[in-house]
Amino acid sequence: MIIIGEKINGAIPSVGEAIKKRDRAFIANLVKLQVEAGVDYLDVCAGTSPEEELDALTWLINIVQEETDCPLCVDSPDPRILKAVLPLCKKPGIINSVSGEGDKCDVIFPVMRGNEWSVIALTCDNDGIPMETDKKVQIAVSIVEKAAAYNISPDRIYIDPLVMSLATVNDSMLRFMEAVRRIKQLYPTIKTTSGLSNISFGMPYRKVINQNFLTLALSVGMDSAIVDPTNRDLVATIYAAEALLGRDPHCRRYNKAYRAGKIGPKKV
Amino acid sequence: MDFELLKNAIADLEDEKAYELVNEVMADGGTQVEAALKACQEGMDIVGKRFEAQEYFVADLIFAGEIMSKAMEILKPALAAKRGDQVSSKMILCTVEGDLHDIGKNIVKSILEATGFEVLDLGIDVPADVIVKTAKEQGIKIIALSGVLTLAIDSMKKTVDAFAAAGMRDSVKIIIGGAPVTEDICRHVGADAWAINPQDTAQICRKWASGE
Repeated sequence: MIIIGEKINGAIPSVGEAIKKRDRAFIANLVKLQVEAGVDYLDVCAGTSPEEELDALTWLINIVQEETDCPLCVDSPDPRILKAVLPLCKKPGIINSVSGEGDKCDVIFPVMRGNEWSVIALTCDNDGIPMETDKKVQIAVSIVEKAAAYNISPDRIYIDPLVMSLATVNDSMLRFMEAVRRIKQLYPTIKTTSGLSNISFGMPYRKVINQNFLTLALSVGMDSAIVDPTNRDLVATIYAAEALLGRDPHCRRYNKAYRAGKIGPKKV
Repeated sequence: MDFELLKNAIADLEDEKAYELVNEVMADGGTQVEAALKACQEGMDIVGKRFEAQEYFVADLIFAGEIMSKAMEILKPALAAKRGDQVSSKMILCTVEGDLHDIGKNIVKSILEATGFEVLDLGIDVPADVIVKTAKEQGIKIIALSGVLTLAIDSMKKTVDAFAAAGMRDSVKIIIGGAPVTEDICRHVGADAWAINPQDTAQICRKWASGE
């Protein structure tokens, strides 16, 4: 599974504070923690007010790239900010994100032409976040078709079918799984991703809901997740689920992770 | 060629690396094949030790066995040439009647093959008379019986007794292995030796094959 580390996000109060104070060491430490835990991409999100965002995101990207070679997942609600920071990145990563909303695709897709950047595409549009699986799939299809016009192949697109909170939509997980299945059926090389915490919003003991969400999502072929890689329970869930699903020959990655102390009781 | 590298590749379950190194050994037709074999065996010994130390787990052992089998496959032509007409030692391995477990047996098999045995694997749940008949027909002198269940003990004893009844008890060596096996059980069964790990099994069988 492709792991996108979520910790460098200004929406997290302590990180927001560090960004405001331009506390370099704090951010560098978040890079180190996540890289050591094992990530494929590092999400970088400023989460500031729109007028401060470009400055803050530039500052973050530069620190991360000074600390690691790990590619970035540049994260902003504003496609123009994303477009502006892309040239700062030393290697292609993931753009987070586009959707069917406004002119996001029209701004981002032209800058993805002829390079290796990937993009996360949320299945929402100007009408908001749809609950119905049909509508989720429909938005995904329209985004993939738009991308094709710029020669962006489906394997460069991570569809996030936007899972709703279970507390409010009782078959939210089932709809999410159905959406993943159908989208992958339409485009076998496409990738799917999701954040973890939406599903458990408003529920007690959220972590167990999040872990089981991950297992069920993996079982229908979810390729990636935006997670805290330093959360040992979550990491163990990923290794265990992948082994259970027959994607870990000889349980090698599971056993190795255990030996390396990445999962299991913490060695003192 | 640094055979430490090969030993460590096997011990660390670095499959690609191990195959690359044994292929390198074969590049000149395998003049150093014996040193390579020894390195592989030493690597497997380390795997066994790590398993005992609970650093490696069952899937790691099975994987190690697979690496070893593939490595042996690559080295085989040179090994056969070195041995010349000297026929490699043949032996029988199986899980005894009433017992269907084969993970342990299969691990032991790959290690035995790695040490140069031609292992005739009769499978699981094998009745005593089939084992005796096969040994008789093919003139096989080394018999390894595996079992995990306690009822396997009775089947092992039955098998040893069947060899005696056929008048072959003195011409074969029988080793038993598996979870329930101990020194006392070995005596009760009447086997020649016992082991609970593949390394010991291979060592004992090697001794027998070389006539000690």
